Amino acid sequence: MVTRLKDVDAVTVGLGWTGAIMARELTKAGLNVVSLERGPDRIPGEDFILPAVRDEVKYGARLELMMDNSIDTLTFRNFGNERALPIRRIGAFLPGEGVGGSGIHWGALHWRNLPSDFRIRSALTERYGAKSIPDDMTIQDWPVSYDEIEPFYDKFDKICGVSGKAGNLRGKKVDGGNIFEGPRSDEYPNQPIKTSNAGLMFGAAAKSLGYHPFPAPVAIASNAYVNADGVTLGACEYCGYCNRIACETNAKASANSTILPNLRLDPKFELRTRCFVTKLNYDKAAKKVVSVTYTDMKTGEEYEQPAGIVLLTAFVFSNVQHLLLAGIGEPYDPTTGKGMVGKNYAYQFEAGASAFFENKELNPYWGSAGMSTIIDDFNGENFDHGGLGFFGGGYINCNTAAAPPISGRTVPHGTPEWGSEWKHATVKWYHHAARFNTQGSVYANRANYMDLDPTYKDVLGRPLIRLTYNPPDNEFKMSAYLLTKVEAIIKAMNPSTYDMHPRPKTFTVVPYQSTHNTGGTIMGADPKSSVVNRYLQAWDAHNLFIQGASVFPQQHGYNPTGTLGALAYWSANAITSRYLKNPGPLVHA
Amino acid sequence: MRKVFVRAGIALMATVAAGAASAADAAHGKVVFQNCAACHSDKPDAIGPSLKGVYGRKSGALTDFRYSNAMQRANLTWDEANLRDYIKDPQAKLKGNRMPFGGLTDPKDIDDVIAYLKDYK
Repeated sequence: MVTRLKDVDAVTVGLGWTGAIMARELTKAGLNVVSLERGPDRIPGEDFILPAVRDEVKYGARLELMMDNSIDTLTFRNFGNERALPIRRIGAFLPGEGVGGSGIHWGALHWRNLPSDFRIRSALTERYGAKSIPDDMTIQDWPVSYDEIEPFYDKFDKICGVSGKAGNLRGKKVDGGNIFEGPRSDEYPNQPIKTSNAGLMFGAAAKSLGYHPFPAPVAIASNAYVNADGVTLGACEYCGYCNRIACETNAKASANSTILPNLRLDPKFELRTRCFVTKLNYDKAAKKVVSVTYTDMKTGEEYEQPAGIVLLTAFVFSNVQHLLLAGIGEPYDPTTGKGMVGKNYAYQFEAGASAFFENKELNPYWGSAGMSTIIDDFNGENFDHGGLGFFGGGYINCNTAAAPPISGRTVPHGTPEWGSEWKHATVKWYHHAARFNTQGSVYANRANYMDLDPTYKDVLGRPLIRLTYNPPDNEFKMSAYLLTKVEAIIKAMNPSTYDMHPRPKTFTVVPYQSTHNTGGTIMGADPKSSVVNRYLQAWDAHNLFIQGASVFPQQHGYNPTGTLGALAYWSANAITSRYLKNPGPLVHA
Repeated sequence: MRKVFVRAGIALMATVAAGAASAADAAHGKVVFQNCAACHSDKPDAIGPSLKGVYGRKSGALTDFRYSNAMQRANLTWDEANLRDYIKDPQAKLKGNRMPFGGLTDPKDIDDVIAYLKDYK
């Protein structure tokens, strides 16, 4: 029996970054908001404290903060003619679970897309001609421009206390920052965090080759900072325990440390944890989601929560799964190209390198996850693709920081993977290894998508989401090109030895690469080319607002969190300033 | 009339104190305290215990905060000397406590933040 609960103004499905942003903005506008989070509560004062958080076995190896694969997972195949199999233990990407979601364990690299990224199909057409874009490259312009969204980027920066150095301040290029970035209306809230030794060496080498190095923009406060919501963030202590782990000093921004301290005190807000939303109840005739059904995972009881506005703020996979299960919109069909739900899945194409400097002490035990020196010379349309045979690019970074005791042991290629020789090698090289990465874009391809698995179900009997993905040739060429640039910089750093790590030709779901999954409920100018409009409002349900990276039409060469946070504030602004006064479609098809 | 006189008296005393050798500046201490306020925020989900009324309090005294074993055993009174040593180098003063803070390096900052804590109630 399903218990029907009292109506509320708005409900969020999940409580990570976007759920917290939406709940905070809507309660401030006077709405009663309930957040339904399938995982546990995560409270800084209980869960982010020493000595418990500095535990690489619990968090790094056993993935304490990630989705529980005994309850839910997804199935995977490389190509549409294969049978997908369930991922029994997540590896390549690690969606978080619990209050704060993936925004607790992230590396906190905090980026904006380039202005040209937002109009990528137009930009490529203007520069190289319409015929240059391959037929199977299903990229499209975003329905918002960089200039429109800039104030919301700025707002999110000031919630997170982002540390960095502007390279383009209101159109004026600033040396030492990222001169390729779009114009910023304001400097970063905090000065850059410290730079590692290898970062300094990388910066000098990159400069000698004519590139433009700058410190990584990170949502890690370099100084104590009072954020735009009046919450004080701490200064980074460079403890070295960062990636996959919560921050012990409230320096690395999470919803828990930046928004929830105030949201939890608001009587208009109610949080229900261990509440797994199983279904959006869709009234197709009225074009509305009237309620959500959830299971209390503590008791197994089912509830129906009616709501005026439904905010789909789960991870990419769950967002898509909810639409497919509820029959909202048309499922994507890769053979005909019709249908939009599940289309344009993309996964950050990263490839790296490692270099070893026998006589240089690199002090890898300290720092934070995102701490690195970066060049953006080969990202997006920052360089000419004429004659290169591919589109896209990515930033290149180098870091030695926060190499934890178990997984931070980079050794040269050819070292045995276990035994006394391996032990000797880890001792010899731990202090002398630098790591490089290329944060490659993925320009969406017709063959990559998500749908419902025909065979496998989750613990509550719902079909799992099925992921069909292999990086297109375009991305392999792009990555190979970026790696030639990495190699040239490494050579200029004069290492004792180095290894390049290109990606294998078929994507595998291990080992870890990034949690940057995008697409499936993409945003666009009309219902024929998208699932949501420019305000993240579903074309087929006007009270449904879909948040997060699932709305990205394709993936650019940057980490997604900065952009998805800005989009959430942009969407919340449209809801509070327009939708509440006149509920209905904000864009007429 | 009498009230005015008392207030003026306090103001005078404050001026005299400020003119003394230590010259602790509570207003500046409040600024320095931002380094502490990220965790010591007085909110229910805070990482650190509330520091309201900490001056003169016994260590580990709050019942709604789970102190480290080191802090539970410390048996200190947070007077000026103990606060100074602790803020300067928390691990040197109390080995094994779990406050993730390396300490303030500038003696003036320490004096000022203590001046601020004296009035923080």
